[in-house]
Amino acid sequence: MNSLKGTLMDEKTLAPRTGLRGRPLLVRLIVIFVLLAAALALPYITTGYYVSLGSLIAASAILAASVNMLAGDGGLVSLGHAGIAAAAGYGLAWSAKEGFELWAQLLVALGLTLLVSALFGLVSMRTRGVFFLMVTLAAGMICYGIAFRWSAVTGGDNGLSGIRRPEAIAPYWTFYFAVLVIFIIATLALYMISRSPFGLVLRGIRDSESRMRSLGYPIAAYKFSAMMLSGFFAGVAGVLLVWHAEFVSPTLGDFIASAMALIMVVLGGLGTVSGPLVGAAIVILIQQVLSTHFDRWSTVLGALFIASVIFAPKGLVGGFHSLVGWIRGRLTGKPAAPHIPKEPKSEG
Amino acid sequence: MNAVLFIQLALNGLSFGALLFLVASGFTLIFGLMRISNLAHGGFYVAGAYVAVVTVATTQSFWLGLLAGALAAAAIGLVVELGLLRRVRNKEMPEVLVTVGVLFVITDLVFALFGGDAKSVGTTGGVPSGALVIGTFAYPQYRLFVIGITIVIAVALFILQNKTRLGAVVRAGVDDREITAAMGIDIDKVFTGVFVFGALLAGAAGAIGAGLFSLTPYAGTEILLYALVVVIIGGLGSIGGAAVGAILIGLIDAFAKAFIPELSYFTIFAPMALVLVLRPQGLFGRVA
Repeated sequence: MNSLKGTLMDEKTLAPRTGLRGRPLLVRLIVIFVLLAAALALPYITTGYYVSLGSLIAASAILAASVNMLAGDGGLVSLGHAGIAAAAGYGLAWSAKEGFELWAQLLVALGLTLLVSALFGLVSMRTRGVFFLMVTLAAGMICYGIAFRWSAVTGGDNGLSGIRRPEAIAPYWTFYFAVLVIFIIATLALYMISRSPFGLVLRGIRDSESRMRSLGYPIAAYKFSAMMLSGFFAGVAGVLLVWHAEFVSPTLGDFIASAMALIMVVLGGLGTVSGPLVGAAIVILIQQVLSTHFDRWSTVLGALFIASVIFAPKGLVGGFHSLVGWIRGRLTGKPAAPHIPKEPKSEG
Repeated sequence: MNAVLFIQLALNGLSFGALLFLVASGFTLIFGLMRISNLAHGGFYVAGAYVAVVTVATTQSFWLGLLAGALAAAAIGLVVELGLLRRVRNKEMPEVLVTVGVLFVITDLVFALFGGDAKSVGTTGGVPSGALVIGTFAYPQYRLFVIGITIVIAVALFILQNKTRLGAVVRAGVDDREITAAMGIDIDKVFTGVFVFGALLAGAAGAIGAGLFSLTPYAGTEILLYALVVVIIGGLGSIGGAAVGAILIGLIDAFAKAFIPELSYFTIFAPMALVLVLRPQGLFGRVA
């Protein structure tokens, strides 16, 4: 692995990122510190409803981040990740129902997550672009179908209810802190993966699969590994989402749920570090808050998504960075940094 | 297993396969020419189905329902193509993401307009209904009618694509859009035409499928899953592949539902996985 850096030179010249590039470190740290302080203060300044909403946003953001890892670095847009999250959720819920200890519940959830991720990986590792999206969509729908049909184990349409969180995170506010900490760890881990030689190879595959193949990289093995890593984080999100609701039903893994995760990523900004959180916050707020006033929130979300794809392909975070770059360019008289397309190219 | 049950299950499989072919052929036609993985196809299906149900309920005519459903889906398809997809033409990922959004919006609007309760269409007015009885063998005539009408549509599609000038233009576009455009053919018009035609097929499939299964706003996403598996197995862009894949998946699904209902989704996953591992371009697909 260490030899990769030598052969591929400086990664910045090869794969520029729209992320936090070019902003002074101090500003970056201040922004992160303020956000962190606000997140930590949330339980002390608002009611349980909003804290609970915060838990849901952070847990959903982990699922979105797992989609973002594949889509941003690998150019592999998955429309089936909710299926992996559901596998983890059902593993936890079923073993809790059977009276397993906490560690055994988590082990069952992990095992199912890895098994389903491996199946996702096997069927998708030789595909790319639209094909990858269609294959993951089909695989995710099949997870939903099994949850829906295999009612002896999964409870069918009614799902499994009465799942209790472990003692320590039973109160809504300790659960919120737990989700927050896990979200931060997951985000850091995904950032490190993206910055590692492994992430660099993934970006190489995204930009030119044939070139990476002729350099001797086993493309399918890399895609499979990326799916396993991403699936692990989707599984973490699945466990947290089930603990949040203390309930699991097939809708956790349905097409809508997978589409939501992708909508979060695209609205927030594909391939950005903070995109999943921003996207999750927008989607969850529309879903939970707008829905109390207006039944057709789903149409609003769909329309917003279409508009974002057409008019703001870099999402809110990407658009914000362009805006900042443009303003700074005007102030200093230098032209803004050129826009580098992040969209995966299809090869001939 | 006795022979009567076997024939009944086989016919169930074939009639479901026929419906899958109607959905998958439009999907694969659009993909073959435009390289768009049109997930809104499920939305066109469900919109056509609901319009047909309402039309049949008021006019008591199946054929008017079929016409109205197909035209409604075609109209939506025209709006989506001209209003949205043209803006992201030739950008692979934005195209498919737009169709995801459209599926989302159509499903929600159908829910708003028609409610979430399952509906089914009384197949009145001009189509066979009731059961065909031969000795101990009994079978719904409507399902046989679905197989028959699909064969008619499939033959018409084949003639249209292989024997007419229009078909030649579309086939040329599939092979090489740039050269086709350079020959003086307005490829944008061909794109729009094929997209609307695909939507028309999806709407017709919805109208026909409404008589087979009870209808909910999520019927579109469900049939979309099956259609995706069919085209992945058959090979994207190949109508012949769609036919073979549809019959295969229809039969597998019918027998699996009868004998191992809990795993009936997994049984369509297994052949898909097998094809993807052994022949990623599908049975009849060309290497991209």
